[in-house]
Amino acid sequence: MSMSPSILSVLSEDLLVRVYEFLDPPCRKTWRLISKDFLRVDSLSRTTIRILRVEFLPTLLFKYPNLSSLDLSVCPKLDDDVVLRLALDGTVSTLGIKSLNLSRSTAVRARGLETLARMCHALERVDVSHCWGFGDREAAALSSAVGLRELKMDKCLSLSDVGLARIVVGCSNLNKISLKWCMEISDLGIDLLCKMCKGLKSLDVSYLKITNDSIRSIALLLKLEVLDMVSCPLIDDAGLQFLENGSPSLQEVDVTRCERVSLSGLISIVRGHPDIQLLKASHCVSEVSGSFLQYIKALKHLKTIWIDGAHVSDSSLVTLSSSCRSLVEIGLSRCVDVTDIGMMGFARNCLNLKTLNLACCGFVTDVAISAVAQSCRNLETLKLESCHLITEKGLQSLGCYSKLLQELDLTDCYGVNDRGLEYISKCSNLQRLKLGLCTNISDKGIFHIGSKCSKLLELDLYRCAGFGDDGLAALSRGCKSLNRLILSYCCELTDTGVEQIRQLELLSHLELRGLKNITGVGLAAIACGCKKLGYLDLKLCENIDDSGFWALAYFSKNLRQINLCNCSVSDTALCMLMSNLSRVQDVDLVHLSRVTVEGFEFALRACCNRLKKLKLLAPLRFLLSSELLETLHARGCRIRWD
Amino acid sequence: MSSSKKSSDGKSSEIEEAVASLTMPFNKILLTSSDGESFEIDEAVARKFQIIAHMIEDDCAGKAIPIDNVTGDILSKIIEYAKKHVVEPDEDEDEEAKKKLDSWDAKFVEKLDLETIFKIILAANYLNFEGLLGFASQTVADYIKDKTPEEVREIFNIENDFTPEEEEAIRKENAWTFNG
Repeated sequence: MSMSPSILSVLSEDLLVRVYEFLDPPCRKTWRLISKDFLRVDSLSRTTIRILRVEFLPTLLFKYPNLSSLDLSVCPKLDDDVVLRLALDGTVSTLGIKSLNLSRSTAVRARGLETLARMCHALERVDVSHCWGFGDREAAALSSAVGLRELKMDKCLSLSDVGLARIVVGCSNLNKISLKWCMEISDLGIDLLCKMCKGLKSLDVSYLKITNDSIRSIALLLKLEVLDMVSCPLIDDAGLQFLENGSPSLQEVDVTRCERVSLSGLISIVRGHPDIQLLKASHCVSEVSGSFLQYIKALKHLKTIWIDGAHVSDSSLVTLSSSCRSLVEIGLSRCVDVTDIGMMGFARNCLNLKTLNLACCGFVTDVAISAVAQSCRNLETLKLESCHLITEKGLQSLGCYSKLLQELDLTDCYGVNDRGLEYISKCSNLQRLKLGLCTNISDKGIFHIGSKCSKLLELDLYRCAGFGDDGLAALSRGCKSLNRLILSYCCELTDTGVEQIRQLELLSHLELRGLKNITGVGLAAIACGCKKLGYLDLKLCENIDDSGFWALAYFSKNLRQINLCNCSVSDTALCMLMSNLSRVQDVDLVHLSRVTVEGFEFALRACCNRLKKLKLLAPLRFLLSSELLETLHARGCRIRWD
Repeated sequence: MSSSKKSSDGKSSEIEEAVASLTMPFNKILLTSSDGESFEIDEAVARKFQIIAHMIEDDCAGKAIPIDNVTGDILSKIIEYAKKHVVEPDEDEDEEAKKKLDSWDAKFVEKLDLETIFKIILAANYLNFEGLLGFASQTVADYIKDKTPEEVREIFNIENDFTPEEEEAIRKENAWTFNG
């Protein structure tokens, strides 16, 4: 019997708030159930929330008056009408909201945005990424939020220079903006942005067809610290030369896949910014050699460098590492010249290494891995995809020395066998493990993972032919924290094994492609136990009968994305799925041999107000009613015809 | 012992104090708990308690400072923590030192029961010792982590004042309406 006094008699409410602030989100939900006083603390102290169903938006905003961050990105039914009704609701207070996430809210347009900007006076951060219909009118609506500091507009495909101009004129305090994939933006827009938002610290113009003129404008930004220009096809060395004497505060630059950029462009950046901390130049530079290495010597603060795909000799690698001893992360994937000698020298110099990517470095052997494991004790992430010469010897060193290892990618590593898995399982902090295409492993090896890697969050066993029911049972018993599991094409699996997945209560992402031996029994067990399932891929699982789909429709209320291609689902079962799964936004319904046109019509009508992405067989375009297709389009759904 | 003498000649007392601070670089402060226990500590340690730091700034710190709301046993624990944390190691600069300190913190709190931790929270709040207040609050939060509501009520001796319907409604809310 507990003799201690009740916590409530000892700690005042504001001290309880202190304790509350240290709880993670699941614990906060438990906290709410303890007593009325605790519920009150939660109501007054909660500052961030992610709404799951738009019907509850007004009630929740009323309950939580002190919110500063509101995430509406998983409310597929959110639209202008909902927002307008909210504005008229006198009980709701949105004055404290500083951060608003409207990513993928494709049904919210200019009217809704204008209302939201008006309701949330204190707005500083807005995310409207993937709102493909977000255009200039929407930008104008958003520009009324004058306090805006951070704006994420990735994939706002309809945004043009005109809309961008409205924003930069209205929100001159912007310090972070992402225009990734906003394909209509040109040099004009970027130029105006740089002239109006002088305090800009972070800029992402990846994938845009901007030219060197934009970089001339960007170089004028005195406070710019982070510049992302991934895959900008028209940028070249002449443009990067502008950066040499410009943007004095630059700390991070990413020019991955800029085809026209070469080593001399990198040299310009590095020459002008000796304090740079992050440099990503994957798959653009063809060679890292002499002249560049000279300038690298001055980079005392370099923490991250990606030179994937470049020719890097062993001696260059060693020179690089001896100059930049504080390197924490290096990307060397597809640097085929790298051998054990280079890696051993590198490991000796860069003792603080945490992340190492050696994917497709075919000449790297166990010797290199052992050297890295022994020298770099802080190693957290190691990517060795397609390193065919790695065997259990290298993995033994990892198991022995790399106690902090969290992520290990051994996809397509032919040399990985059960012994190797036994060694790896000693890395008890492992969270993400990829063993796709490792054909030499069997249940024996998986038993070790299942029994020792209890912190495992993600496991990829794509096409691991030797993996079967017993292995899956062991995993389901031992790795309770798993949230992502890929078992596609592990054809040995049957219902017996797959049923065990129901023990993984935290599972949210599950891929079961091509499992011909599983039926409705297996699927029903999963649906029943994995309540948090959000993503499910059942493509080519031809033998799942309707009983499985009925169970899915009944239990899996949190499903957001589902792939049913080539499944034997019937008309009624499909209709049940689409009407009951109220959070589904993304569906793949190609090659459903048992579903008739009427079946599709009914099923899609049932969910047309919340669907955002849909894949259907091309002939259906002419067979489905135009009414249905128009409604889908009006609600912001994108249809891909296969 | 720090003292501020205000003599008629302000300048000479300033010089006296300057000389005193040169010859005795570390001033000592005396703290007395509510039950009469006294603790002599370095000024640097005492400054971790904001209310004392303010008193020193405002020149109100006399020879001995009474801490009325805190008993001796709790005060000694708080001083023990403060002594270890006089200089907080920078995570980036000195990872070794940070790790050692974290492990000392873990051992420190392992031996304490819940009631003592509550009292430490109260005392740290009164003394305005932010570092310990945060650490102790985190410790209580860790007690709650991964437990069911019933278990938490048991540990903290809290009565469940929800009706079964109210409790069910909250559970439903937790499951279906929001995350985070």
